[in-house]
Amino acid sequence: MSAYILPILFLLLIIYCIYKRINTYDHFVKGAKGAIKLVVDIFPFIASIMIAVALLRVSGITTWLTSLLTPVFNFLGIPPELTELVLLRPFTGSGSYALLENVLTTYGADSYISRCACVIMGCSETIFYVATVYFSQTRVKKLLYAIPVALVCSLVGTILACLICKVM
Amino acid sequence: MMMLSSILVLLITNPSAMLSEMIGASTGALELCFELVAVYVVWLGFIELIDASGLSDKLAKLLRPLIKKIFKVDNEEIQKIIALNVSANMLGVGNAATPMGIRAMQALDDGSGKANFAMIMLVVINATSIQLLPTTVIGLRSSAGSENPADIILPTLIVTITTTVLGILLVHGVEKLRNKIKRRKKK
Repeated sequence: MSAYILPILFLLLIIYCIYKRINTYDHFVKGAKGAIKLVVDIFPFIASIMIAVALLRVSGITTWLTSLLTPVFNFLGIPPELTELVLLRPFTGSGSYALLENVLTTYGADSYISRCACVIMGCSETIFYVATVYFSQTRVKKLLYAIPVALVCSLVGTILACLICKVM
Repeated sequence: MMMLSSILVLLITNPSAMLSEMIGASTGALELCFELVAVYVVWLGFIELIDASGLSDKLAKLLRPLIKKIFKVDNEEIQKIIALNVSANMLGVGNAATPMGIRAMQALDDGSGKANFAMIMLVVINATSIQLLPTTVIGLRSSAGSENPADIILPTLIVTITTTVLGILLVHGVEKLRNKIKRRKKK
């Protein structure tokens, strides 16, 4: 069902453009032109954050943090199997999706753990990555309280996700 | 700081892995960026169509009262970009939201070197983002053999609505607190 929504939206958009007598092809190309420049501009920032995350993982700091935080998370109702996922989620999209796939195959797609993991993935975001990339093209150096507030909301969301999956 | 501490630990545990790990990561970033070019070509193309057909103006008009209240932004052009960014996020296509987010940040930049209220709000809203359709997650679940991959839509929706409201309240609250402190300092 949900697989149809995006294609249908695209179809409607194109029909609407034709109805409005807009040159669809020209405008599509015009928009697409910006893609390479945009990626070139943000590449150094993406690379830096990915290097930092790789170092964090290979140095063993994440494993250490995982074992340190598991009891805390457990107290908050987050299953210990998901500590690493919750920890890595703010930093890396591809890394956390790989972990999610791992959870899905290990525990079965319809288990409580897997459903929890899915809702957690849906309600959280790669906060550090997003903040880095979004601010990369501005002169802003101080983010003030943006990241702490975002992290607090994510944590609340994670706890809530684990609660809701128990009842729904 | 994060990098420094990681490098320090690595020096003790596994010094030979450091450089290869860093280069491996930037290779990964390069691969990701190649992919992103392809993804952005599609999305920026469609976004241009949405813009040219006037749909983005309609969308912005629809969301304007809400955006005005939440972001405290009066500029119509910026409101439009934010409207597109938020809608893309709601549909679970973060990759379409990113270019709009960057554009919005550039437009909001006041040159003071500090993030302003609307910028912080945008980061928080992007982080908590209401999810009507967690597209990627549903895809992963169904390929892992789930019997009903879509049954996480409702829980995800409930959780994201709660965190988004919480985020908006928190940002407003912190901003008020900061203003109060500032005023007190002036006195």
